[in-house]
Amino acid sequence: MYDAVYVEQLNKPAVALVNENFMYDARSAASSKGLPTVRVLASAVPCECINEQIVEPIIDSMMDDIIKGLTKPLSPQEESPEQPKVEETPRIIFKGNLQEINRFFYKRGWADGLPIIPPTEEAVKEMLTGTDLPADHILGKIVPRRGKATVEKVAINAVMAGALPTYMPVLIAGVEALLDPESFFHVWGVSTGSWAPFWIFNGPIRKDLNINYSSGTLSPGNIANATIGRSMALIIKNIGGARPGIEDMGVLGNTGKYSMVMAENEEANPWGPLHVENGLHKDDSAVSLIFPNSSVPVFPGTDYDGLLNSMIHSVTRRGLTCIVLNPAHAKTLFENGWTKEEIITYITQFARVPAYRNPSYHKAALIKIPKAYRVLNEMESSPVIENPAWIRIIVAGGPGNFIGIYAGGRWPGNEWVTKKVNLPANWGSLVKKYKDVVPNYAFY
Amino acid sequence: MSNEYEVFSPWAEADRVPASGITPRVSDLAGKKIGLFCYTVKPASTPIIKAIETRLRERFPSSEFSRFEYDYNKDLMDTPDVARFNDWVKGVDAAIAAVGD
Repeated sequence: MYDAVYVEQLNKPAVALVNENFMYDARSAASSKGLPTVRVLASAVPCECINEQIVEPIIDSMMDDIIKGLTKPLSPQEESPEQPKVEETPRIIFKGNLQEINRFFYKRGWADGLPIIPPTEEAVKEMLTGTDLPADHILGKIVPRRGKATVEKVAINAVMAGALPTYMPVLIAGVEALLDPESFFHVWGVSTGSWAPFWIFNGPIRKDLNINYSSGTLSPGNIANATIGRSMALIIKNIGGARPGIEDMGVLGNTGKYSMVMAENEEANPWGPLHVENGLHKDDSAVSLIFPNSSVPVFPGTDYDGLLNSMIHSVTRRGLTCIVLNPAHAKTLFENGWTKEEIITYITQFARVPAYRNPSYHKAALIKIPKAYRVLNEMESSPVIENPAWIRIIVAGGPGNFIGIYAGGRWPGNEWVTKKVNLPANWGSLVKKYKDVVPNYAFY
Repeated sequence: MSNEYEVFSPWAEADRVPASGITPRVSDLAGKKIGLFCYTVKPASTPIIKAIETRLRERFPSSEFSRFEYDYNKDLMDTPDVARFNDWVKGVDAAIAAVGD
């Protein structure tokens, strides 16, 4: 959509054809570039459709409008559009009781469907004790709206999510990860593919915040895992301006968008933790980010041979991939002499499918096979994941015979992103203050 | 439930982008150089542009056509293709873009 805008900005008339269900998205994109009246035609061509028998009659029916789009004189509004209203954003936005505040935030499109904690001045002030950065410090501008991610806005959204002040450093690092161009958040955050941010924590922060990395690490029940994910989702929505069905065009959506937080069980990782593999020091606290849209729970054989072969049968054709081994499986592979590099090489070498099982072979999908991996006939095999550098192996989860494979996409320039978590000077006393916020389950 | 709270807004400020008008149209496509922008990251853009080009060639045989194919999944202005794009736009009188979604 920006393409037509850029043509117009170079003083040439343009018209854009956009799928009829993406008109809000197209309008948001055009307005964000200062050309709200760029001519956009709603097309009934289905998304990603390459079937000419479907495309051609639709284009036939649009030809007069396409020609008019380039030749019909401008209306006064197109020539001189109304200037966007300056958004009034008073610091205090509403006054009411708990229910009224929840209804107000929900109706404004600022919530996520679950109840929120009211972001009062007192609560936000407490949240800000989790960072040494000033409240008005701008971490960056989050797409698609390019909203200013001030530390205070991060704190407000964190309060709403029910986060503790000790989570502020990881939320700030999370925002930095979104802002890193290599994360490709501008694609994954709004894509039809419903990709979800997968936040993986390493270093001492895991224990300071009691992030669950054992049984049910991705299940509800732990305040850190739950509210860090939820805070980031609210930040993406209220600072980045990605709202479902308007800018975030995920076809099916993904519950992972507000819940996918895991830490690594570094003590059970015999090879070394993710953040060290990604360039940081072992004593650093860190968050890593990719955007899977699916997970495959693998029920493997229990010896090393069974583990490896279960993985090669279960990786899916995607891009950046995280394999989560539970501690017992990591131990088995390690004790049988396998390094992480060797496991990854084995997967990329032997996880193969016949070409006929690859939609790209039939020219029916977006994913293009790189030249080096093109096959000669439908029975020749091609690798499921062609580049070992896209895969990481971490250790997490509880006892039991399951492995998790989290499959993300990848575009050129898109890599695993890992950010160091910077802690405030008062970290020790803060941790002490909130450390005992843990569930105490009664046995029955 | 009866306690009242004053609450802050979670909605971030964003720089206000002044709205500009679009470029005056051409009077007729006959004899013009028409640019066809194909965003190949989205597969549908290719057959859409192909269909449009075929029909325009039939209707405007005196016109010239020039395609620009773009396959980065990022803002064009952040790619090495900017200079090529600018040159291409300079060489056309009007352009049609197919987004594919």
